[in-house]
Amino acid sequence: MKSFLTILICKLLRFAGRLIGKGSSMPGQVALRLCPDILKRIELPKYVVAITGSNGKTSTVEMIAHILTKSGKSVAWNREGSNQIEGVTTMVLSNATLSGKVKSDIMLIESDERYAKKTFKYIDITHYVITNLYRDQLTRNGHPEFVFEAIAESIKPDTELILNADDPLVSVFGHDREGVIWFGADELSTDTKELISVYNDGAYCPICKAPMKYSTHHYNHIGIYECTSCGYHREDTDYTITAVDMNKGVLEINGKYHISLALKSLYNIYNILAAFTVASLIGVDGEKIAQEMNDYVLKNGRVINFTLGERKGTLLTSKHENSVSYDHSIRVACACEQGADVLIIVDAISRKYFTGDTSWLWDIDFEMLDNKNIGDIVLAGTYVNDLAARFSYTDIPQEKIHLFEDIDKAAEYLNNGRKEYIYIITCFSDKEKILSEVEVI
Amino acid sequence: MKLLHLYHDIMNLYGDYANVSAMERMLTKNGADVTVDRLSLGDKAEISDYDFIFIGSGTEKNQKTVLADFMKYKDELSEYIRAHKLLLMTGNSFEMLGKSVTDGHGVRYDALGLYNYTTVEFTGKRITADIICTASFLDKPLVGFINKSSEIFGISDSLFQTKFGVGDSEGFHTEGIWDRNFFGTHLTGPILIKNPHFLASLASLLLGREPNTDHLTYEQKGYETTLRKLSEREQAKTEG
Repeated sequence: MKSFLTILICKLLRFAGRLIGKGSSMPGQVALRLCPDILKRIELPKYVVAITGSNGKTSTVEMIAHILTKSGKSVAWNREGSNQIEGVTTMVLSNATLSGKVKSDIMLIESDERYAKKTFKYIDITHYVITNLYRDQLTRNGHPEFVFEAIAESIKPDTELILNADDPLVSVFGHDREGVIWFGADELSTDTKELISVYNDGAYCPICKAPMKYSTHHYNHIGIYECTSCGYHREDTDYTITAVDMNKGVLEINGKYHISLALKSLYNIYNILAAFTVASLIGVDGEKIAQEMNDYVLKNGRVINFTLGERKGTLLTSKHENSVSYDHSIRVACACEQGADVLIIVDAISRKYFTGDTSWLWDIDFEMLDNKNIGDIVLAGTYVNDLAARFSYTDIPQEKIHLFEDIDKAAEYLNNGRKEYIYIITCFSDKEKILSEVEVI
Repeated sequence: MKLLHLYHDIMNLYGDYANVSAMERMLTKNGADVTVDRLSLGDKAEISDYDFIFIGSGTEKNQKTVLADFMKYKDELSEYIRAHKLLLMTGNSFEMLGKSVTDGHGVRYDALGLYNYTTVEFTGKRITADIICTASFLDKPLVGFINKSSEIFGISDSLFQTKFGVGDSEGFHTEGIWDRNFFGTHLTGPILIKNPHFLASLASLLLGREPNTDHLTYEQKGYETTLRKLSEREQAKTEG
């Protein structure tokens, strides 16, 4: 009876919340107060797949849901990306019958990495994907090793782990553990022998702290590595990116499946690979997955095309306080053969909490923008001077750099009849401030 | 002038390296001939050769790895500080000059023991806070961020008084250590970029005169923005 009422109230609150455009956390919060172990009382589907890690969670979950739905399976998932226990509870109860059974074939849960332990206390997940561990929201999370400890506490012994073999910080979860499914990339044409990044979180072995050696870097600390002392090494992969052609925008998985890329970014290919891996394990045919992933455009609003006067551009939602996500967006801009101007906005550092900390700007490899394809660099927002100080420590000619504290002034400046493409690099917390100045396509 | 960034690739969590870049540029702009060495685990630095040494913040595990290596510098560092030479340590690096660091599992690691303070780490908890603090030798406050998983007890000569944010431990408004020209603080990241007046003050110790700071326009404006934002926040908290 208690479960019945809790589920009913959660569903009603969810319904009412949708009508008034409220977020998806509150109904779950109320449900947890009424019945703290409600999640334990719910009968879950055969497949309960969770995804956590620093970056790529929302995109990966969306892709998996897309593939599975197109393959005729019913999927329950937190499509709003509300990924702490309250949001997950709302999602689970919204998809349950009043008798407490989730009838979907698969439940797919995006989970916040730091609070995964709390979320999965009562949910027995069957498959657990961990995408990567980067420096992310350090003002809240501290550093990747701290987040590692938090995720480690959420892993149960009988869960099947699906791990990014190329991330030495993630692979530790599968160290000395049987039955891990590994995904990763072979040496790729886009790789570098030397690291291109301001820092290297893979410089020392996460197990014994001896120096690590990389035979190849895919990007940042992601690559093929081996400890010089304890033997810790990148595992052989079960699901593999065997080749990538960034010019043509084609990805090859397991030597036979070819997927054409709507977004030519290494970032994107890891998300696709993780989605490919999960869908395969659930029994979807590789050809079918490739077909569904061909030119797949994410619907989560992370990549937005626009026009500004006569000019065309793309907003690449990046995360403030997350240098790897900025590095990826910078790489996408630099690959623009026709030439691109870049607008970077740092106005509110977070939409969830207050901080004035801009240390993370020093971890971003802005030096990469010293590139023949890059024209004007426009910096904007409250923290424009912090950005300018950071850029003054690159070799980029200072005459290419233009500063505007007001975001609308930056947009006005860019609406100047130049022919170059425009890339806007900024965060969720700031993107609406520029989207109101452009025409979204 | 010889600058040393020690443990540059392992005590490097929050863009701390920029403190060395800032000092290098400041000295160069003021006519000094500057070289920077970047050394790490397993290297042997000739401590007394340097005019400025910097160490930044690391993960709790990396700090323990570094500590084992760092012990070899005990006598040389003690000598260096007594000779009034300039040493800046940010984040958990300066914990290593105290008596000990006890980790979240209760395991105690001996530290260099140049000072009597002790550090106790938490398990699964961090203290993070935007900071406004003052120093007796600066006429303007400093801004910054603290990001730590530990508390420090027993510092008698504090570097800063915190006006907003946290100090060495719960309920403390004193932060960091100051002894001669050794400055240790749990403020993280590029504090010399964020606080151009602090940079100028440290540079004056090396140059023997007030430095020219004309090249610090962005840093100066950035500092004012952050101070204004943090002050507004402090105000809102007090009223709220």
